[in-house]
Amino acid sequence: MMLSARIAARELRGGIRGFRVFLLCLMLGVAAIASVGLVRGAIREALSDQGAMLLGGDAQYDFTYRRATPEERAWIDDHAAAVSEVIEFRSMLTRGAGDALETALTQVKAVDGAHPLIGALVLDPPVPMGALGPEGGLPGIFLDQILADRLGLAPGDTVQLAGQPFAYRAAITREPDSTGAGIGLGPRSIVALSAIEATPILAPGSLYETEYRVILPEGTDLDAAKTAAEARFEGAGMRWSDSRRAAPGADRFVDRLGSFLVLVGLAGLAVGGVGISATVSAWIERKAETVATLRALGAAGGTIRAIFLWQLAALSALGIVAGLGLAALVVVLAAGVIEAALPIPVTIALSAGPMLEAAVYGALVAAIFALWPLARMATTRSGALYRAGRGRRWPSWPALVLMAVLVAVLLAAAVAFSGLVGLTLGTFGGVVGALVLLWLAAFGLRLLARRAAHLSRGRPALRAALAAIGAPRSEAAPVILSLGLGLSVLAAVGQVDAALRSAIQRDLPDVAPAYFMIDIQNSQLPEFLTTLDTLGTVDKVETAPMLRGVITEINGQPAREVAGEHWVLRGDRGVTYATTPREALTAGTFWPEDYAGPPQASFAAKEAQELGLKLGDKITVNILGRDIEAAITSLRDVDFSTAGIGFVLTLNPAALQGAPHVHIATIYAAPEDEAAILRRVAQEYPNVTAIRVRDAIARVSEALGTIARATSLAAGVTLLTGFVVLIGAAAAGEGARNWEAAMLKTLGATRATILRSFALRAALMGAAAGLVAIGFGALAGYAVLEWVMEAQYRFAPLPALAIVLGGVLVTLTAGLVFALRPLAARPARILRARE
Amino acid sequence: MTDTILSLSDVGLTLDGNAGPVEILQGISLDIEQGSSVGLTGPSGSGKSSLLMLMGGLERATRGSIQVLGQDLGAMDEDQLARFRRGRMGIVFQSFHLVPTMTALENVALPLEIMGEADAFARAEAELAAVGLGHRGHHYPSEMSGGEQQRVALARAVVTRPAVLLADEPTGNLDAANGAAIMDLLFGLQERHGATLVLVTHAPELAARCDRVVQLSDGALA
Repeated sequence: MMLSARIAARELRGGIRGFRVFLLCLMLGVAAIASVGLVRGAIREALSDQGAMLLGGDAQYDFTYRRATPEERAWIDDHAAAVSEVIEFRSMLTRGAGDALETALTQVKAVDGAHPLIGALVLDPPVPMGALGPEGGLPGIFLDQILADRLGLAPGDTVQLAGQPFAYRAAITREPDSTGAGIGLGPRSIVALSAIEATPILAPGSLYETEYRVILPEGTDLDAAKTAAEARFEGAGMRWSDSRRAAPGADRFVDRLGSFLVLVGLAGLAVGGVGISATVSAWIERKAETVATLRALGAAGGTIRAIFLWQLAALSALGIVAGLGLAALVVVLAAGVIEAALPIPVTIALSAGPMLEAAVYGALVAAIFALWPLARMATTRSGALYRAGRGRRWPSWPALVLMAVLVAVLLAAAVAFSGLVGLTLGTFGGVVGALVLLWLAAFGLRLLARRAAHLSRGRPALRAALAAIGAPRSEAAPVILSLGLGLSVLAAVGQVDAALRSAIQRDLPDVAPAYFMIDIQNSQLPEFLTTLDTLGTVDKVETAPMLRGVITEINGQPAREVAGEHWVLRGDRGVTYATTPREALTAGTFWPEDYAGPPQASFAAKEAQELGLKLGDKITVNILGRDIEAAITSLRDVDFSTAGIGFVLTLNPAALQGAPHVHIATIYAAPEDEAAILRRVAQEYPNVTAIRVRDAIARVSEALGTIARATSLAAGVTLLTGFVVLIGAAAAGEGARNWEAAMLKTLGATRATILRSFALRAALMGAAAGLVAIGFGALAGYAVLEWVMEAQYRFAPLPALAIVLGGVLVTLTAGLVFALRPLAARPARILRARE
Repeated sequence: MTDTILSLSDVGLTLDGNAGPVEILQGISLDIEQGSSVGLTGPSGSGKSSLLMLMGGLERATRGSIQVLGQDLGAMDEDQLARFRRGRMGIVFQSFHLVPTMTALENVALPLEIMGEADAFARAEAELAAVGLGHRGHHYPSEMSGGEQQRVALARAVVTRPAVLLADEPTGNLDAANGAAIMDLLFGLQERHGATLVLVTHAPELAARCDRVVQLSDGALA
């Protein structure tokens, strides 16, 4: 055994006393990261394992707005062992009539007899799929329990879907092919495809999607099948998906949120790093004489460093293993709750990947933060080690380089583990920025405390508090850093959440329409407008023709190759035509009203800029399987935040001549008139689907709330770690406080004065951390609102106040817990111990 | 006739040690007159410093009673003792015990601030000047020599014009020259302010400068 390892082992015989903060910090950070990682991993695994189940088949051919032609269907049948056709659309369910008419928006799935190809639909009562067929003259319908409750339906009752009567047969308990991720605008209904084939729901121009789910023949290579399908349906507007990535939306959401939470956990570990560094500093301080003696006995610097490194490695391993154990315990205990809360069947179990990720982060953070004090010790001369107040020296260059390398490795590991470069670098930058800001705040507070000392004349408690904060070995930096980072994350979440909610509540009611109506047939439009007019309660109606199309090419090149994963290129988008521009032009000229030349397009200016499009560029849009190539001749200033009608892409009318389409309408009315308008429209135009804007916004708010809660939970762990560091700092400072209290008592100060002084310094440091956190939160709120959401940011004072109060309270608690002993101690013993 | 300012009657002190209770002081009865100077001497461990701490109310006697300025220290709680010390007692330690985060001037002003005196800083400046450190008021203890620190500690002890001045081996950490200067200063201040001085020292020649010498041995008066 190496000499250094032998000595290290002897040193460790003393136990882990003095390392509790080190171990707790590491354990909490590692546990938080491992827990999030385990849950994320389980969801990812479920999405991948159950890909076929979630997709409803091995693969899926998706057509927007139309069904496959008989030739296309024949090709699909030829290349599959089994095929199931599913049509999805939004519609209105109604029950009753007149003033008693009840309505509900629903996402409908019309299925053929082969559905579901994989898995089974769980229904209550457990009727067979055949119950969707006609029975007693009416086709059947299965509804989400929420819908049945809202409309007061019991099995056997009749309900209208888009004006067609259906018999409610059972409630949907679980769908095998539903990820439930993302924001759906209405609960699910399931009907038989045959029951809607003859209705206007599938009339040309209606908004629906047809999915052909297939079971591929045994041994089919998914890549080869995809290539063949894309070749066959080139230019036909078909989208392919397969079981390898069955729910891309859910996948992306889980990936992003999970990675973000891991990064928040990493921030917690960074806070823990402050505690690790402080513990190691204190430890080295305690061991200074041992080091000096070892040096005096002839031990080389390398040997001494190795002794410390061995011990740190052993302690880090202990902390990491404890953290992994805690994560395993938490995840196993909470597995039932987590599984029940998820919309897909997920089995949360322990797996090596996330544990390894957390262990790597733990080891790197421990190494980075422990190396700093260790490297400083290495540059201290032997003689100086015997003296108290050894002075502060910078680590040597090689040590600084080593630390920089470790930070780079940590960053690289975070990028590699998350696979999201932008998000990782952004969060990392945010954490580093917050740490720098907090350090500056600590520095500033110390400076201020020294400068403001004259203001405390005549106030001994304040004088002692300011003197303690301003002192060279002040607790200000570790306290503000450790507490501030957790508070900053919480403040950022609070500000973004509050600002988004207030932006929604403040801005939208003034400008947003009450209803967004879709599927208005061409022939219905004049009568529809007259009906609204006669109601007398509608303030304003705006309508626009609506088609859906996929931008497939830009200047003859595949669009995604040219412009990447922009949202405009993801799936199909609404397309309209117009003779005059709806919004102000920012560039180019709009086509004349009677223009009938080659197709021209007017593009939303901001999106065009993001996609790199300029006037004269040609875009190819696939609408109803037909490719239309149009030259961009104008750009428009489209404001999507008003929730009014806004199209990224407008074509000249002649370009879309003959394409069947429907109209959409936005209806502006006072909230008290909304219900009557909806009843009238539902009664007279059952095929028209009305989306209540307030409901849609509520769903968005709900989703935001969930994300905010998840982030707050992760930030809570950061705060807990910060608290541990604070307790550690307070415990380490107890000796100094003992002496201070004794000294002040000797000079005539009462315990109340001393307590006030301790409380003041804790409150000042807590408030400083809280204020920085608010600044950081406001900055994050501003960035997210103004740049990402493009809404106006307004500072939310209540969450901010809570953060400052929280900061003060936490530091007060930590500080005062360790003030009790100094207050109770007899001065003589404390002072004589220092003689 | 002179008044008794400090009166100890059958005072004992027992502290809990690792190996059980340790008797530090026993049966000490002593009266000290106002304005006098008393040297407490004795070998290491004889209980000199403990006795001084009892007189200052920094430690509590486990037996007997201690009267200072007619007040029974044993009847007071921690806060009452702290208030009692204000303006009545000045204490000087071997290790100076200056607040390292405060300047010399702030250290000297601190007891006056605790008393709520409005002119704390003016008086502190004058006192610092009296110990020859008027020019060092804005220096921190770490920027001063041991002798200078002890002079600051002396200024802090007398700035409230206490009736009782307790000094626990004030030259123990100083070289001979600095030690002599500090003692001259201490006796000078005591004389100037008419305070009662109790000085713990190992040095017979310093004890000899006092009006009276009290010898301790094994926790009892010799």
